[in-house]
Amino acid sequence: MLADGLYKHADSVNELLARYGVKFGIYKNGEFKEQLFPFDIIPRVISAEDFNFLERGLKQRVKALNEFIRDIYSKRQIIKDKVIAEEFIYSGSGYLVQCDGVTPPKNIYAHISGIDLVQGKNKNWYILEDNLRIPSGASYPMIARDLCRKGVPEMFEENRIEDNRNYAELLRKTMEYVNTGGLSVILTPGRFNAAYFEHSYLAEQTGAHLVTCDDLTVENENLYFIDYSGKKEKVGAVYRRISDEYLDPVNFYRESLIGIPHIFDIYRKGNVALINAPGNGVADDKGIYYFVPAMIKYYLGEEPILQNAPTYLPYYEDDMKYVLENFDKLVLKDVAEAGGYGVVFANKLSKQEKENFITLLKSEPRRFIAQEVIDFLDLDIYEDGQPVPRKADLRAFVLMADEPVVWKSGLTRFSRNPDSFIVNSSQGGGFKDTWVLKSK
Amino acid sequence: MIRRLQYLYHMSLKFELPVHEHHFKLRCFPSTDARQKIFNEHIEIYPVHFRSTEKDSFGNTCVYGTANQTHDHFSVDVEGEADIDINKKLTDEEYKTGIFKYETPLTKAGTTIRKFHLELESASLFANNFERAFYMMNMLYDDFSYVQGVTGISTTAEEAFDLRRGVCQDYAHILLAMCRLERIPCRYIAGMIPGEGATHAWTEIYNEGEWRMLDPTHNRECDDTYIKISSGRDAKDCSINQGVFYGGGRQTQEIKVKVSEL
Repeated sequence: MLADGLYKHADSVNELLARYGVKFGIYKNGEFKEQLFPFDIIPRVISAEDFNFLERGLKQRVKALNEFIRDIYSKRQIIKDKVIAEEFIYSGSGYLVQCDGVTPPKNIYAHISGIDLVQGKNKNWYILEDNLRIPSGASYPMIARDLCRKGVPEMFEENRIEDNRNYAELLRKTMEYVNTGGLSVILTPGRFNAAYFEHSYLAEQTGAHLVTCDDLTVENENLYFIDYSGKKEKVGAVYRRISDEYLDPVNFYRESLIGIPHIFDIYRKGNVALINAPGNGVADDKGIYYFVPAMIKYYLGEEPILQNAPTYLPYYEDDMKYVLENFDKLVLKDVAEAGGYGVVFANKLSKQEKENFITLLKSEPRRFIAQEVIDFLDLDIYEDGQPVPRKADLRAFVLMADEPVVWKSGLTRFSRNPDSFIVNSSQGGGFKDTWVLKSK
Repeated sequence: MIRRLQYLYHMSLKFELPVHEHHFKLRCFPSTDARQKIFNEHIEIYPVHFRSTEKDSFGNTCVYGTANQTHDHFSVDVEGEADIDINKKLTDEEYKTGIFKYETPLTKAGTTIRKFHLELESASLFANNFERAFYMMNMLYDDFSYVQGVTGISTTAEEAFDLRRGVCQDYAHILLAMCRLERIPCRYIAGMIPGEGATHAWTEIYNEGEWRMLDPTHNRECDDTYIKISSGRDAKDCSINQGVFYGGGRQTQEIKVKVSEL
């Protein structure tokens, strides 16, 4: 029933996605290649009750993370109270000293958060990772839903599925809420960026201008958009899809060939909103992840609703002892890496590799976290005419205006390799739509 | 006792080919703090189309702006007077000093510094951070020679120590690298001292609630003739000019400093 109706559209939807340019660019061996982001027709379905629980947990988590970023760049109360080890902040690559003492418009740092979760075989949800810099991926379930609705409209009439096409509206509100007066724009590094499809799609859907750095200029303490005719218009919010270091060559990485000189100086003065705020990396580091449950208690005085995957910090002696005693059953992650790189499953190591790794771990304990391997709940994907189980995660999107709002959908990513736990699109994974059911 | 000093700071850039759309961010203006009071300050920047002032995260005064018109020469002149009171302390609460405890790319101790550091006397023999840092400064001074032209602005502490030669920036970076191995909060200071020449660099060591200045190039604690321009984790945080422009080819920078007692 549900599946049959969709199966016959699997090929046509993928063809349409290809035609719309739903692609993912990756750099491999120094070469830029665009590849299609394979779409699986079988949606992940989340019940209203389940989603309600996730929603409460995600709002709580993002509120606490936002408070944390604000605290770290202002009073540093959490360090003073020794709830968090300062070394993980100041030795981490995510902390940007330039942001110290800077207050962003409306005190919002994490405007758009992408929180990665997995569901275990025990049906419990676990947070895997917080992405507070430039989380990408919302456009994929948006366009896939749109195409599926065209193919099988009756499916969406018969099932009580939350419409996910409101993402653009949520994003527009998020930008408008912090806008300091003027246009809202989406800043893309250009068409060779891995997520260019998304930048252009979101611009089209929100009605924001899609701009590159060359279209923006700082004059007299304000940011302006210069259109093709040379006309200047003031910009009040920039949803920038370009990382902190390349944002402003007179304030960050000076060799950067892109960027807008002085944009950070006027941001510091409160004359423009940058979405997300620069410096957010301090809160989504794999080492900081360990402290998020403590942050929730510290800032909100609440018990965490959503759990972390059980995590150990070899930096602490007790944790190191546990890690060494239980090494073979753990997964180790390099805190400086992202995108599924720097992840080591201890049981896959040879004897020699294991010895080498332990030596490295002992000499640089701060560099790694260790986690219990979560036995993910497999989701079916449709392959060669039949459903087969694969590992999958869920990226939930939380958008913050006056209050955080959880988008009633999300990007479900799966591993195409039956033996792999790594679902990242940069490693060749695919995606599914995520259906949230309406409450009865 | 307050000492009054007069200072002149000049920086110029010459471009081989004309530049335009020149965006600059300058950090070469002494600021008033607990120890030094700046007055009668005069700043001249040429050419300039727009300029604005701000304090960076370390409290350093910055002037940023643009020079739109085509030019092959850019200059900054700063003059002013400083009253320095050596009895006034620069204080901070301990939890605010974390940023200065950990290595940066320029102050990372590699094998050479680590080896040297291991051979020092045990830290437990010293009463406090200041005495410990003072001792490390003495040891560094004995094993390092002031030589110009062998290191550059992006030379790391480890590279300079490998050469055992360098200038004030290198002395400061190496001392910071050693202090940070022991998690002693310490920072890099760019500034000026009496006489004519270039800018100088030294360090501040956090000791029992206050920052104390050590000048490893001269192997001494700083007195009231040192005018601070900026502070940060290392020389990069204190960079005098971060600019971008179109055109230019090769560029030559000239810096002249003059400090005299009034």
